[in-house]
Amino acid sequence: MSSRYVIEVGNRHIKDVNEEIQAAAKAHHSLLVRNTLSRHNLGIGLPKGVDVAFEGSVGYYCGGLNTGAIVTVEDDAGWGTGEGMDAGHITIGGYAGMSAGAAMRGGTIHVRGDAGPRIGVAMKGGNIIVEGKIGSQAGFMAHAGKIIALGGAGASCADALWQGEVWVAGEIESLGVDAVVKEPTAEQVAEVDAILEPLGLVDSARNWRRIVSGQRLWYFESRDANAWLMI
Amino acid sequence: MADDLNGTYHYPFPEAPEELVKFGDGAIEGRPAGVPSSYDEGGSLRWTPEAISEVHALAQLGRYQVRGYNTFNKRFPTFDDLTFVPATMTRLPLEGYRESCDTTTILGGGRGLVEKPLELKIPIYIASMSFGALSANAKEALGHGASKVGTMTCTGEGGMLEEERAASNKLVYQMSPARYGLDLDHLRRADALEIVVGQGAKPGTGGLLLGMKVSPRVSQMRTLPEGVDQRSTVRHPDWLGADDLAIKVEELRIATNYQVPIFLKMGATRPRYDVAIAAKVGVDVVVVDGAEGGTGASPELLLNHTGIPTISAIRAAREALDECGMSGKVSLVAAGGIRSGVDVAKCLALGADAVMIGNAAMIALGCNSPRYLDDYKKLGTSPGACHHCHTGMCPVGVATQTPELTARMDVAAGAERVARYLTAMTMEVTALAKACGKSNVHNLDMEDLRALSFEASAFTGVKMAGIDRAYGW
Repeated sequence: MSSRYVIEVGNRHIKDVNEEIQAAAKAHHSLLVRNTLSRHNLGIGLPKGVDVAFEGSVGYYCGGLNTGAIVTVEDDAGWGTGEGMDAGHITIGGYAGMSAGAAMRGGTIHVRGDAGPRIGVAMKGGNIIVEGKIGSQAGFMAHAGKIIALGGAGASCADALWQGEVWVAGEIESLGVDAVVKEPTAEQVAEVDAILEPLGLVDSARNWRRIVSGQRLWYFESRDANAWLMI
Repeated sequence: MADDLNGTYHYPFPEAPEELVKFGDGAIEGRPAGVPSSYDEGGSLRWTPEAISEVHALAQLGRYQVRGYNTFNKRFPTFDDLTFVPATMTRLPLEGYRESCDTTTILGGGRGLVEKPLELKIPIYIASMSFGALSANAKEALGHGASKVGTMTCTGEGGMLEEERAASNKLVYQMSPARYGLDLDHLRRADALEIVVGQGAKPGTGGLLLGMKVSPRVSQMRTLPEGVDQRSTVRHPDWLGADDLAIKVEELRIATNYQVPIFLKMGATRPRYDVAIAAKVGVDVVVVDGAEGGTGASPELLLNHTGIPTISAIRAAREALDECGMSGKVSLVAAGGIRSGVDVAKCLALGADAVMIGNAAMIALGCNSPRYLDDYKKLGTSPGACHHCHTGMCPVGVATQTPELTARMDVAAGAERVARYLTAMTMEVTALAKACGKSNVHNLDMEDLRALSFEASAFTGVKMAGIDRAYGW
């Protein structure tokens, strides 16, 4: 750890902290951000090729708009961790608040504890792995990508999906609107195991529920364009 | 009574036959000509022919109707309810054809937080309309037309279209709740960011793009299955209230390195409160979109029956900024139903720093122009009445994704029409400003206006014509 470039957060202006992180990321492969005090907006728009570890807990939007950095949060994270990220890997050592991975486009978010509501909301790609339970409305309107929960799911799970998928091992409180449970094929389970394998989380004994869109919300009346001529 | 009246006078000629008294020559049997029948005319204010056909439509379809364009509610006050009162004895006019009038418009510099406030040559720019709602050719033409006259366009919610980015010298990039295609690269290539909270045509609801317009390119840019009816999420995925949004704004500033202004666009519903909250959240520009604002597709009920008129929203927004001491720090952009430079001047006088035009810009591109008449006919409409944006069957290639129709939208010609229209509008604004004695269009104010109706006065606080007092409660 001593070879790492160390950044102190404390009560500094968050703009200055981010500028230091960005500048340090150009010269160093490994950064340690200390004394985070659960501050918001730490590590926004991080570049590819850098490894940033945050000591303690972080506030909202940590690792937001990540373009390829490896991010580790020691303890808990607030809302919107890794929102809009394109690439990279974010690990939350503890719990993740609401909307982790919101609108993310690629990369991986790994939460070791539980995750709050609306995880992966509107996500466009990438994978989210939660070792504990995911909160309500997980994957709301997820366009693509996978949310994998190893410890069950809250209410309205996988609500109003597009082509995203929610995989749950454990209890599901209730399914969301237009959510359908499909029996995964061996091939599909192998795909998920390939995501879990580097994290050391493969367990062949899991009873997976793969939840996808029932596609009843996908169409209003538009298949026949002529139907609209009456309006 | 009747006996008395008829009993006292005798014609000096034989009484006329009944059929002649009742216009008997050529009348419909049983109903004298000239006697209106309620069976022909109706007469119920409640059950108008339109209301009856609406019930028939709901009863047959089992769902509300969706359409594009803008409100058909006839009860809205319009900009025409206001008139300018140019300089006479109390003030001096400027020479309309000789003296100059500044139209430069700066947006987003008031807080002193960002490196690159937007400097526009005119107080008008092109409203947020997505690629998806509009064809790529239309977007590109709008970009070039705006660039030619020193103003800007806005992406709308469909993501950043490369043709538009290349064409627009200045481009506002929208961050809608659905976040279609949003990534750091696009954020950093924008000249301003706009957080969308709502739109005037359908406040409280998300975007709507019907399947006919979700083409392969649109579906790829929005990560959607091809041909689905896209109904966007209305709530942002990672913030809920104003306190969260303040943090989000900080994140966007960090992501763009404090370079570009951040806008917040809202539909006009409770602007007196909403605008104050937006200012408190920390954005640089608030865009208030009145209920007359257009859309590519919306449930018709929302178009016709939600939101408040633009003229009332501007006043409420300006008063909100004044009250919380944010006028000058936060810029105010007005939109919704603006058709001409006259409307623009009225918006500025009511308190807007700039305006944006959507439908008007589409019409300048060629929307509703009298060409391809057979195609209008096939849609059961005609030039001047068409509102088929939602079907994607736009006869002139503006609001479509069909390649053959898109090809009808000539980029060069459309760009030139938009540039000329913006130029002409700006001339109209300066003509009025100079008549009112103003050497800068931003000096137009409430005292330059009078209201022609109680409603307009009551909605805006503009003094009633003649009596020179605002209608008070």
